[in-house]
Amino acid sequence: MKKQTKAISWVLQIIVAAILMMTLPAKFSGAAQPVALFTELGMEPHGRYITAVLELIACLLLLIPASAVYGAVLAAGVMTGAVIGHVTKLGFVGEIGQMGFMAIGVLVFSFLIIYLRRIQLPVVNRMFGETKK
Amino acid sequence: MDSKISIDLHKMAKFANAAIPTLAILFILGGTYLNFYLHFLSVFFIFLTIINFFYRHVQKEHGLLRNFGVMGQARYMMESIGPELRQYFFANDTEEMPFNREERSEVYRKAKNVDSASSFGSQKSFDATEIKVRHTMFPAPKEELEEYAVTFGEERGIKNTHTFTRPIAISAMSYGALGQNAVRSLARGAKMAGISMNTGEGGYPKYHMEEGCDLIFQLGTAKFGVRDEDGTLNDDKLRELTVKDEIKMIEIKLSQGAKPGKGGLLPKEKITKEISELRGVPQGKDVISPTHHAECKDLKTTVEFIKHVQDVSELPVGIKLCVGSVVEFRQFVCQMKEMNIFPDYIAVDGAEGGTGAAPKAFMDNYGMPLFPALHSVNTILKEEGVRDELKLMAAGKLIGPGRQMIAYCLGADAIYSARGFMLTLGCIQALQCGNNTCPVGITTHDPALQGGIVISEKAKRIENYVENVEHDFYQLLAATGKTNVRDLSIENLYVPSGTTLAEFTQDKAALAS
Repeated sequence: MKKQTKAISWVLQIIVAAILMMTLPAKFSGAAQPVALFTELGMEPHGRYITAVLELIACLLLLIPASAVYGAVLAAGVMTGAVIGHVTKLGFVGEIGQMGFMAIGVLVFSFLIIYLRRIQLPVVNRMFGETKK
Repeated sequence: MDSKISIDLHKMAKFANAAIPTLAILFILGGTYLNFYLHFLSVFFIFLTIINFFYRHVQKEHGLLRNFGVMGQARYMMESIGPELRQYFFANDTEEMPFNREERSEVYRKAKNVDSASSFGSQKSFDATEIKVRHTMFPAPKEELEEYAVTFGEERGIKNTHTFTRPIAISAMSYGALGQNAVRSLARGAKMAGISMNTGEGGYPKYHMEEGCDLIFQLGTAKFGVRDEDGTLNDDKLRELTVKDEIKMIEIKLSQGAKPGKGGLLPKEKITKEISELRGVPQGKDVISPTHHAECKDLKTTVEFIKHVQDVSELPVGIKLCVGSVVEFRQFVCQMKEMNIFPDYIAVDGAEGGTGAAPKAFMDNYGMPLFPALHSVNTILKEEGVRDELKLMAAGKLIGPGRQMIAYCLGADAIYSARGFMLTLGCIQALQCGNNTCPVGITTHDPALQGGIVISEKAKRIENYVENVEHDFYQLLAATGKTNVRDLSIENLYVPSGTTLAEFTQDKAALAS
């Protein structure tokens, strides 16, 4: 991987990890907003904890060089779920709606990280026909 | 219609390609209208759909993936774990290459000092191509066996001779090919066992020297460590090295069994500051190892070069080569005879020798195998009447006492092994020596992987291995009825006609010049 690509990827990784990390305390402690959100989805309280744990794992993976790309895949997965939630149930209006835009942002960044690091993931690098390091 | 039940992979792939997007849609609907938890599966199948789409319609490199999508990927995944599965579960004990499980486990057992006796019977097929050593009805009594000792340089009557007191030495492995922990384990083990170790052509043997064992400095075609900028020998640098106590002999590498006639290229990315210093090459520039020494343009200049190195170093100087043509070798010997200059030893490297990395064709298809080569060299030296002017060493898959004994019968005075000692260090034959990913930390510079080698523990194993090889050596020698390896000859071998050796023992014309 080129130095420049690596640098861009690291900036994105830190942004994604930071955004995910910021929402975690509220999710774990059961603050009003996430509880309302997950009640709307019919996933309170287990879905809230599952999501929070998955996000926490994604954060950690993103910050370890060898596993960054896996963290990005996990983050992209959770964010895809979030976007589906906003499209089908939560909408994009008001405070909860803002979370939806954030989810879209994180999703795009995660995909960018995966793309930049595609060579590290055999299943994904074959999407682009690349197999050599 | 075929009435048999069978698995049609084509149909399965088609079904999968239709099922993946369908399931994605179903789970999205289910997640939306039934239970949001189903969206965990939606996400999985959405991703799979994207991957499948890219495989089939975007990438152009892999035909299999274009036709079959993710089902085709299964093949690559299975294939990637094939070598491990074969090695762990399916490979027969005698079918792996270069060393099968039987051969490897004998070394492991010797290294760990556990009984290496086998039970019930041999795994070899006897009527085929197995060379056997002939024993006698009256083996030599133990107390009559002479202690093994080979003195290099005695023929020339030089001051600094060097003596092997144990029947094996560590063959050329450089720092660079091996990581520093591996090199130091070997060196410490060599010191403990009292054997000599070849430094390989990797330049100034910094790590080899750290443990204080006897060293044979190898002079490669690029003369790393003792070169001038143009790649020729720098006499002063060689002299500086040879006055060091540890350096006991010099070996001029003319060619190597694994890649005879091939040079090498050290890419500039690999030339770290340390490598640059040890090898004496500038950083930031590719360095070429030529196919042969710049000084050796023909037979005459080659013999002159041997003499030159002998004069400069004042040590025993041997040559290592893989025989290509016996005719050429005979001319080489005649040239030595004519000039009355002989190397102190010739190390015959069989084509089966190992290396970190070489083109497959060189490894597979070039050079003479050890046994016919060694026999030819020995016979030619005898026929030319100069066998007593030098010693013979043999190298090439000599990891166990059985093959080593055959080499002694074919004229070897001493045995070189490299991979035997790598197995002793814990090599599992993962075949990744050239990738810097050696899982046991031997042929890698990755500090994390090198952590697998605890020097003191591995050094002890080297000592055990040498002791057990020596133990077997004396027993096998006694069984032939001889008391000294020098009394062994081809007469002590049974050579079936199916072997490559047979041609050279039965057909004298094969050796004629």
